[in-house]
Amino acid sequence: MSPLICLYFQVHQPYRLRDLRITEVGQGNTPDYFDHEKNRSVFRKVAEKCYLPANRLMLSLLEQYPDFKIAYSLSGVFLDQCEEYGPDVLESFQHLAKTGRVEFLAETYYHSLSSIQDTEEFCEQTTLHIRKIGDLFGVTPSVFRNTELIYSNELAQTARLMGFKGILAEGADHLLQGRSPNIPYTPPHFRLPRGKEMLIARHRPLPQRSKDIAVLLKNYRLSDDVAFRFSDKSWVGFPLHAETFTDWLLGGGGHSVNLFMDYETFGEHQWEDTGIFEFLATLPRIWQERGVQCVTPSQVIETWEQRNNANVFDAHNAISWADTERDLSAWQGNQIQTSALEAIYALGPLVKATGNPDLLRTWRKLQTSDHFYYMCTKYWNDGDVHKYFSPYDSPYEAYRRYSHALCDLKSRVEPQQKQHAKQRTNRKHPTP
Amino acid sequence: MSLHTLMFGWEYPPRHLGGLGVACQGLVRGLVNQHVKVTLVLPFAADGTPDEIDILCPQEQHIQKIRVASLLMPYDSPELYAQRIHSVPRETEQIYGADLGQAVHVFTETSVEMTKHLRPDVVHAHDWMTYEAGLRSARHHGKPLVAHIHATELDRTHFHPNEWIYGRERWGFEQADHIIAVSNYTKGILTQHYGIAPDKISVVHNASNEQSALPPHAISSAHRSLGEGGYTLSPHRRHPMVLFLGRLTIQKGPMHFLEMASMVHRFRPDVQFVIAGDGHMLPSLMHQTVQWGLEDCVIFTGKVSSSEANKLYAQASCFVMPSLSEPFGLVALEAIAQGTPVILSKQSGASEVIGHAFKVDFWDTEKMADCVLTILRETPLAFQLISEAPRVLQRLTWEHQAGEILSIYQNLIHS
Repeated sequence: MSPLICLYFQVHQPYRLRDLRITEVGQGNTPDYFDHEKNRSVFRKVAEKCYLPANRLMLSLLEQYPDFKIAYSLSGVFLDQCEEYGPDVLESFQHLAKTGRVEFLAETYYHSLSSIQDTEEFCEQTTLHIRKIGDLFGVTPSVFRNTELIYSNELAQTARLMGFKGILAEGADHLLQGRSPNIPYTPPHFRLPRGKEMLIARHRPLPQRSKDIAVLLKNYRLSDDVAFRFSDKSWVGFPLHAETFTDWLLGGGGHSVNLFMDYETFGEHQWEDTGIFEFLATLPRIWQERGVQCVTPSQVIETWEQRNNANVFDAHNAISWADTERDLSAWQGNQIQTSALEAIYALGPLVKATGNPDLLRTWRKLQTSDHFYYMCTKYWNDGDVHKYFSPYDSPYEAYRRYSHALCDLKSRVEPQQKQHAKQRTNRKHPTP
Repeated sequence: MSLHTLMFGWEYPPRHLGGLGVACQGLVRGLVNQHVKVTLVLPFAADGTPDEIDILCPQEQHIQKIRVASLLMPYDSPELYAQRIHSVPRETEQIYGADLGQAVHVFTETSVEMTKHLRPDVVHAHDWMTYEAGLRSARHHGKPLVAHIHATELDRTHFHPNEWIYGRERWGFEQADHIIAVSNYTKGILTQHYGIAPDKISVVHNASNEQSALPPHAISSAHRSLGEGGYTLSPHRRHPMVLFLGRLTIQKGPMHFLEMASMVHRFRPDVQFVIAGDGHMLPSLMHQTVQWGLEDCVIFTGKVSSSEANKLYAQASCFVMPSLSEPFGLVALEAIAQGTPVILSKQSGASEVIGHAFKVDFWDTEKMADCVLTILRETPLAFQLISEAPRVLQRLTWEHQAGEILSIYQNLIHS
């Protein structure tokens, strides 16, 4: 029997920072840290090139092919931006949801790195996200995908205790060791520290813990054929046709081929004139002709019969879908990144103690992983900047803006008596 | 048989005022290492430094130097030349030429005559004063001329050129068989403001004469051991110091530095500023310093030797290069070699090759001040810059850059 096909798309937009200045820090009247004009213009550009045309196409494919199914993970900050900058985009996702053949996955609302920094915050953000998905689409996610597909054994157990029956991960070669990414795996069985288990129980986003959890692995070769190589004229597979690609999909065997990618692949990373939309439009027809089943992540798990003698996917150290390293070095690979990460999470108790929802939201928006990614210097080789995706000039500019936001936020959440003391000294040494 | 290049230069260490001499030396040594025979013709005041102390390293023996009596100085202007010639006894004035134009003419005549007996394969001239000598020599020997451009009149004058000098430059660019520019930034100026075809210009960036002063282990352990051992790696000393180093001329942007300093001072009165270098703007800079009430935190050092410069770099919490138009900016590499975070003008060649730095528009002194203050406040940022930036020094060596020049020679000779 040929393998199932599972399509999942990541949809996310961060709140980029504006050109903050030190003179604004700690003045008590900083209006906002974020560059609304930039965020709006990026959102609208991607909406026109990708979200709207891709959603139109998906809707017509769902209407035309009764077996076609897809899954999305829409970050909470993306959904917030939909409300701010693109009600039309939100509506088009709601149309897709109404077909009943689109699954929405759970993630951290703020697309954050809280899973590796702060378990309580991680549970809270996941709860916020599940609620948001319920409010907007009327469904409750049961499969979790972490920010940038960051995954570890510990995270899998955490997600199980949070109530998820499945979790997505990168099919990293060094962990698969020759085994196929096309079958579901389980994490090694072990107990988390008692304190952590209790913490998760107190903040569990879903009603009850799951007995076991399946790990669905991204088939990165086939996923990247579409996401990265589709328009690469120097690639041996160019030009890629839906027929050939289907041959490749079926050739690998296994239970399901999991194609996970950024939704921006359609129209933004691969422009419309590369034929990416035609390629996507042709796939369901060919799959129907060949009797290939399309499923969502939870259906992959439901249809998997050999769960009792499942293979173990052992990720002792965290992995992700980023770069060739497939580790966390894109977000915490240098001194400015680790210092920024430490500083933002250290503010957590102070922010929460204020009970101020605006400050809490701001603090959480600053947790979005993109802020740390923009500070990455791994590929920041002198004179070789083309690999660097960032709205800013340099990783240092990213850190400059971020550190100003952090300092200001810190000044806003410092306990009141310290604030007064500071104001007294400020009066003695007036600042401009 | 090894290739022979006949070079016309302006200055050569230890007699040098700026980056041109340093670059020229690096280039010549690099070429000698590539087994190129170099004959270097330099202007030389008869009463100047004796030749002997020029021998700085063993390879120097392989460089044949020809001295031409002249009062020409790099970065010259008719006014500066006029000042100098006035201090020369009337009877020796004729050796040098009564004005800049004549001085160039004398230098050209003499140096062409003195090199007629040579058999070079290529002629290579550095900046406008030598272009005529280079061209006439190239014609005489029937060999191609390479015009190297280290700085244009437009850079030096912030686009208010002396028309005569601008004309000489343009003529040189037009006559040369090929042009080497020290950056894409300079190549852009040549194509936009001198009307030179881009395919006639190759970019060979300057390189660093020095490797990182910090041993690798000091850098890697910088974040653990603050200032432990021989190196004071802490970028946050009791009195943080911010450094300017360059000629005090409009091109180098010392006034923008001062403007930035006044903004930083309002925010952090404990910060000191050092303005190292000499030039005609010194009086107006001092005046402005007092006007802005900065006399207690700005220090003017005058011209500094290269060892003094290295000490200043090492002491500085950050180095700022606010040049209005900087073909390259070797000082930025020098600062990096001493383990100092740098803030560079975007209007510079150095910003093309240095990744681990802040880059700002020279006129945006507010942002410049913000970058300085951020580096002073954020220790991890300073360490990150200190530990990552020096990698450019390993990549950008004169050995490597001379290799590129050699292949330009070979293409010219064989075409």
